[in-house]
Amino acid sequence: MRARWALAVVVGLFACNQARADEPLSSDAIFGKPVPFSIESARLRFTHYDQEGHGFQSQAGPSPGLEQLTVEQPQLEVVAKQGKFTHRLWVPVDVITGASADAIDGWPPPDAITEASHTTEAASIDLTTTYQRDARTQLFFRGGFHIENPFRSWNLGVGGARSFADDNTVIAASLNQVFDWLDRFTITGVRLGRAERSSTNGNLSVTQLLSPSTVGYLGYGLTVQLGTLGNTWNVVPLSDGTLGDERLPGVRHRHSLVARLAQALPWRGAVKGFYRFYADNWGVLAHSIEVQLYQRLGPWFYLRANYRVHYQNGVAFFSTRASPDAELRSADSDLAPFTSQTIGILGAVDVPFARRIQNLHLDVGYERYFRTNDLRVSMYTCAVGFRF
Amino acid sequence: MKRWLVLILLASSGCAVVPQNRRAALADPIMSSFDEDSLEAHKKSKFYSTREAAAGGDGEPAGGGCGCQ
Repeated sequence: MRARWALAVVVGLFACNQARADEPLSSDAIFGKPVPFSIESARLRFTHYDQEGHGFQSQAGPSPGLEQLTVEQPQLEVVAKQGKFTHRLWVPVDVITGASADAIDGWPPPDAITEASHTTEAASIDLTTTYQRDARTQLFFRGGFHIENPFRSWNLGVGGARSFADDNTVIAASLNQVFDWLDRFTITGVRLGRAERSSTNGNLSVTQLLSPSTVGYLGYGLTVQLGTLGNTWNVVPLSDGTLGDERLPGVRHRHSLVARLAQALPWRGAVKGFYRFYADNWGVLAHSIEVQLYQRLGPWFYLRANYRVHYQNGVAFFSTRASPDAELRSADSDLAPFTSQTIGILGAVDVPFARRIQNLHLDVGYERYFRTNDLRVSMYTCAVGFRF
Repeated sequence: MKRWLVLILLASSGCAVVPQNRRAALADPIMSSFDEDSLEAHKKSKFYSTREAAAGGDGEPAGGGCGCQ
């Protein structure tokens, strides 16, 4: 009797195994159980820019032409977590009214460069995936696409960060590549076909805790650009009284060195200082200094005041009365020698919740930018964000 | 070169390790990072890179969008 039972059990087990072997393996069995996807945060920021001023590169009105424009800039960011992966989807949009190549494709062609009243819509989509390799190492990959009426752009980036000494020091490095494809125009609005631009950028930075209330940062970035480095429809006033086209070098090497310091203040505030040095092979040397002062006025509410000053000496070939034979020339007010200042204020509320939404963020701010060569911009911004 | 090496060694020796339990002041969102809001950081970098000649670096490549320098 016992032998019969034993035989039955053995045959039964064998039959079971046989049946299991014949069944197709599920994807769970091969790849493991899928890691659930969870939305970590969502944030929307809207900024309105109101710009006025004049620049010799503009054909909008008598020289120097108008640089008047407005920009509506909504941005959406969603961050999702999936096990060791964090995905950040970011969609910035710019709606710009102002002199642009937008209407040059249409008829009559030169409208957009003679009137500062047309509209350009630009949008990007950018996905960054970060892999938390271990407690101290992060690797990321990013890719994006930008579309604008006469313009397409693709970007790719890789990078990583590693922390040392119990997270006291973080060393980060990244490499980015941007490829732009744009329409080339003459200064009278005739389309000449396509032009390309490539920008390769590498960055190296160190973030260091300097004390229980102080953080320091030092970063260096190098960008190498090749191709058509202007928008092609900027004009240059010539010494014979006519207008000529802008002529820029085909290569640009840009170096920037950034130092930052953040210090917590004993009265529930913080001060942050930024210094940036910039140099390139077009002859530009620039210094930018920014100070931000934060003050908490309650557990949920804080104010921020900021001031920035920027000095640049302009490109070596800047001229508002260039020779018709000049090999290189530009009258672009952005490439001129000038000093600019920005002053701003922002109020922010972070309300904690206990349930599905952990935190609600709201902020509203205003900044005023003005510079010595006739450009002034007012910026109004507000944001709403949820952390889940 | 030697001067730089000495300077780096002096600077690094000044960075005492701050233990986790002494970082309460750094946990406040107003201190947590230099650009706590990446959308605001983009707003700023886009604004300055399209209006000033000194763009590029800062973790973001120069170029891309709007046909500007």
